[in-house]
Amino acid sequence: MEKYIKEDDFLARWISGELSTEELKKFENSKDYTVLKRINDASQTLKAPTFNNQALLNKLREQTSAKPQTSKTRVIKLIPNWAYAAAAVMIAFGVFYVMNMQSNFNTGFSEQLAVVLPDNSEVKLNANSHLNYKTLNWRSDRKLELEGEAFFDVEKGKTFKVITNEGVVEVLGTEFNVISRNTYFEVQCMEGKVRVTSNTLHKNVVLLPGEAVRIVNNNFEEWNFELNEPNWLVGESTFYNAPILQVLQALENQFEITFDTSNIDSNKRFTGAFTHKDLSLAIKTVSTPMNLSYSLDKEERIIRLSSKE
Amino acid sequence: MSSETKSVCEQETYEYLYNAHSQTLYNYIYYKCGDKQQAEDTVQDAFVKLWNNCSKVFFEKAKSFLYTVARNIFLNEVAHKKIVLEHQNTLSNRTTNETPLFLLEEQEFMQQLKDAIANLPEKQREVFLLSRIDKKKYSEIAEITGVSIKAVEKRMSLALVTLRKQFGKI
Repeated sequence: MEKYIKEDDFLARWISGELSTEELKKFENSKDYTVLKRINDASQTLKAPTFNNQALLNKLREQTSAKPQTSKTRVIKLIPNWAYAAAAVMIAFGVFYVMNMQSNFNTGFSEQLAVVLPDNSEVKLNANSHLNYKTLNWRSDRKLELEGEAFFDVEKGKTFKVITNEGVVEVLGTEFNVISRNTYFEVQCMEGKVRVTSNTLHKNVVLLPGEAVRIVNNNFEEWNFELNEPNWLVGESTFYNAPILQVLQALENQFEITFDTSNIDSNKRFTGAFTHKDLSLAIKTVSTPMNLSYSLDKEERIIRLSSKE
Repeated sequence: MSSETKSVCEQETYEYLYNAHSQTLYNYIYYKCGDKQQAEDTVQDAFVKLWNNCSKVFFEKAKSFLYTVARNIFLNEVAHKKIVLEHQNTLSNRTTNETPLFLLEEQEFMQQLKDAIANLPEKQREVFLLSRIDKKKYSEIAEITGVSIKAVEKRMSLALVTLRKQFGKI
């Protein structure tokens, strides 16, 4: 037998009719061709023994129909229905959470804190104050709640609102200082234009740089000052004709002390400043011009004030 | 898993698979072992197994599942018989003008061929017969026997060479 015929797939290709005409011609002329051709032709007339596949099918039907119910597939869902409900609830909670996500900032006694808002506006919180705002969508809804004292340096943009218990401060882009403690409300404008609306008086006033307003005895009280930024940022609290109780409260916040004010005239006004660094010096600077004497109770950190007369 | 996929557990699908593959499966096993009963039993076992596993076997995979199962069942059997092939007497219809001598010689040749095929190594035989009797393409044979197409071609060529040697000169 010639060598090429014995090649791996030569005869296989011949059977499947994949030989080229040249190969076929050469092969047909070889002496093996007639025999192989005859083998191939004859083998195609062969038959496998007959197989009664219908009988076997009937047999199989018997076998398989006996237990189709037991082998019936139970379709177990990859994700059960309740998971969709759970996911929906989770998403609802998630959206609710994000929508209401708030940033909270608190300062304790004698603490200060600088906060940069999402639009790069800056807030400086003075002691014992609380600030919170919604982080989502800040740029289109610049609104924050304040309790205490803070200085704002607002970037230009949509209306910027500071909401306090006593009133609302609205600006477009400016610097201003807000104090809102208990019933006291004071705003100082350093730059730009600020509109202050009082919740109790239902009135509003527009402040220009250097102007300040406070609500005293249910009245707007306006005054002017000459500062680029509030003094508390550099360790001093400055007051202009401020109610004495307000000044004492500022002292309390800076030094974590309590004043007993039962013996003094609360209508007095104070103009001046006190330092945040030294308690006794600060108390002296306030009490001396106001003609007050004081006694210190170190354990309880209570200072009793009384008029000197 | 799309809902359009046919489930093998459906009686209809199952019988479709049976009609499509039982004969070839039977022949395949018979070519291997030459035992009709064993071939039939194997076909039955393979299809029972397919039914029992119908939920796990995708429709598209059922064919190769059947052949693989049949192969494995076959491997577990020990006794092999010599295969006995029948042959269609198609020749007799159109060879009325042939001499008795020729017919005799033809008959002799067929017998020789059947013997030669029966003596082929099992792997060559199954490929050769699946191709020649069942008219399967090499790719199909590869799927049935679980080897590569290249290996099928090689076995086919070898089978022919082996057969050719049996006959010497004619």
